[in-house]
Amino acid sequence: MSTSAIGSTQFLVRFTVKQRIEHVITMVVFTVLCLTGLPQKFYGAMWAQKLVMLFGGIDAARWIHRACGWALALSTVAHFGSAIVTIAGHKTRLTMIPTKHDFDDAVATLKYYLGMRDHGPKYDRYDYKQKFEYWGLVVGNIIMVVTGFVLIYPTILARFLPGQLVPAAKMAHSNEGLMAFLIITIWHIYNAHLNPDVFPFDTTIFTGKISRERMEHEHPLELARLDGQPEQAGEVASPHGREVVG
Amino acid sequence: MRRTLLLVMMWVGAGPAWAGIPAEQDDCLGCHGGDPTMSMDLPSGEKLSTYVDPAVFGKSVHGEMLRCTDCHTEKTGYPHESKPFASKRDVQVAYYEQCKSCHFANYTKTLDGVHYAVMAKGNRKAALCVDCHGSHDIQRAAEPRTRISQTCATCHGEVFKIYASSVHGRDAAAGNQDVPVCTDCHKAHDILDPKNGALAAHTPEICGRCHTNEKMMAKYKLSTKVVDTYLKDFHGMSATLQRGKKVDRKNFAAVCTDCHGVHDIQKSSDPGSHTIQANLVQTCKKCHPGATKNFPDAWLSHYEPTPQKATLVWTIQLFYKLIIPFMVGGLVLQIALHLWRVVVNR
Repeated sequence: MSTSAIGSTQFLVRFTVKQRIEHVITMVVFTVLCLTGLPQKFYGAMWAQKLVMLFGGIDAARWIHRACGWALALSTVAHFGSAIVTIAGHKTRLTMIPTKHDFDDAVATLKYYLGMRDHGPKYDRYDYKQKFEYWGLVVGNIIMVVTGFVLIYPTILARFLPGQLVPAAKMAHSNEGLMAFLIITIWHIYNAHLNPDVFPFDTTIFTGKISRERMEHEHPLELARLDGQPEQAGEVASPHGREVVG
Repeated sequence: MRRTLLLVMMWVGAGPAWAGIPAEQDDCLGCHGGDPTMSMDLPSGEKLSTYVDPAVFGKSVHGEMLRCTDCHTEKTGYPHESKPFASKRDVQVAYYEQCKSCHFANYTKTLDGVHYAVMAKGNRKAALCVDCHGSHDIQRAAEPRTRISQTCATCHGEVFKIYASSVHGRDAAAGNQDVPVCTDCHKAHDILDPKNGALAAHTPEICGRCHTNEKMMAKYKLSTKVVDTYLKDFHGMSATLQRGKKVDRKNFAAVCTDCHGVHDIQKSSDPGSHTIQANLVQTCKKCHPGATKNFPDAWLSHYEPTPQKATLVWTIQLFYKLIIPFMVGGLVLQIALHLWRVVVNR
């Protein structure tokens, strides 16, 4: 981790170039998958038919959808491949693994929202919402990739397994896709754009940089570790504003 | 219509066969209604009969109302010149447009039809009005209904034989009024070209006209959900989305006829049916060359997933019916709580 100063604000590097590229790839691929996939689920609607036409017809749209599906599959494999290598080489801390602490954080946050606590919990490198979204994406990706391959190659599947797995895969693919779309458009767009703490745009995942001020509020435990002061862990910080400190 | 026929029959009963023919006809029939061998030689070597049987014309639908010159508009006096026709077909091609002055709507429809398109490309065998309806002997085309298929069979004999042995064709021959004749699916005048995707795009709708009719299907104990269940699956979805675009027939998603057969449709319990269990893999292989014995189960045979049929599919459906509202609802609630906290803090 390095720090840099622009103007009077001090910035910390939060994401590596690799992580930023992975986010851009996922963002583009996910968007195109939604644009070419959802019209297939809602094929009866006018907007769906217009959207499909925009891609040059269902056959072209489906080709693009499958190409992006392959890209998603490969990027997921690459992500875990490199993660395994890094973890095996002891070059990283396991910051994304959900723990009992995250569950307690979630409960504490809800209590804070409901006014049953004076302040929210202090988060480490990733808070429970970020871990939830990451693992949701991972599980979703695995479901979408596996069922997607069943739908591209149904005859190969039926050579080894019962044919009913094909409509089962279609049911799962279609619903999981819709759920992923809803979670991203509601939850992710809120947290990355509409949330008053970051409005209108949390640029960290693109620039890799986060201000020290935001780190203090959003990831104080991580900041303390970076500063070599893990004893600060006892201090109070709110997840979204200086005003509520204390 | 019946009354017209009745009148014609009364006339026929009351006097000579041509008694209904307008008086002006007598002039023409004076020459053309006498000698059955009356003919002219055409350059093609064909003999064009110029004899009109007054009895036949009198009984035709036009017998009472049209004069010869209504169709033969240029034959205004006597003697009249013969147009320089090279062949019998030339005569028919030259005269068929006469129909449009009265039957304009149907004439216009034929301009969208496959016969006209083929004729325009230079195939002069393509059917014209007179080829199906006749000329001096025109009768109601659909009386009885099976006569329609017989008319098409004049040129499309091979297809007719296949149709005649199908579940529809056999019942039609037995007098069943519910089953389709050729024109019910292909239409009469604006016949779609079956070789491009246009007819395929309309197939679920065409079959659905009868097969979603509760009253009619109840007679035969057939399901009316066949179109809905088809549309909900991969083939139906693809076909729906392909409709707006020009798609080659062979690249068009499977429609009813691709699995059930076209003219050779049989009951799905018939050993000859394309959709009976024993023949299914073969049927799937038409489009899915790698299909093996498990593959037909990938299609739920027009059944909605239920706990009994397709347990796994039904379970997954139920799972998502519960988890999607739970997830989305939970996240929206958390966002709302967060926003509320922000407002309170300010």
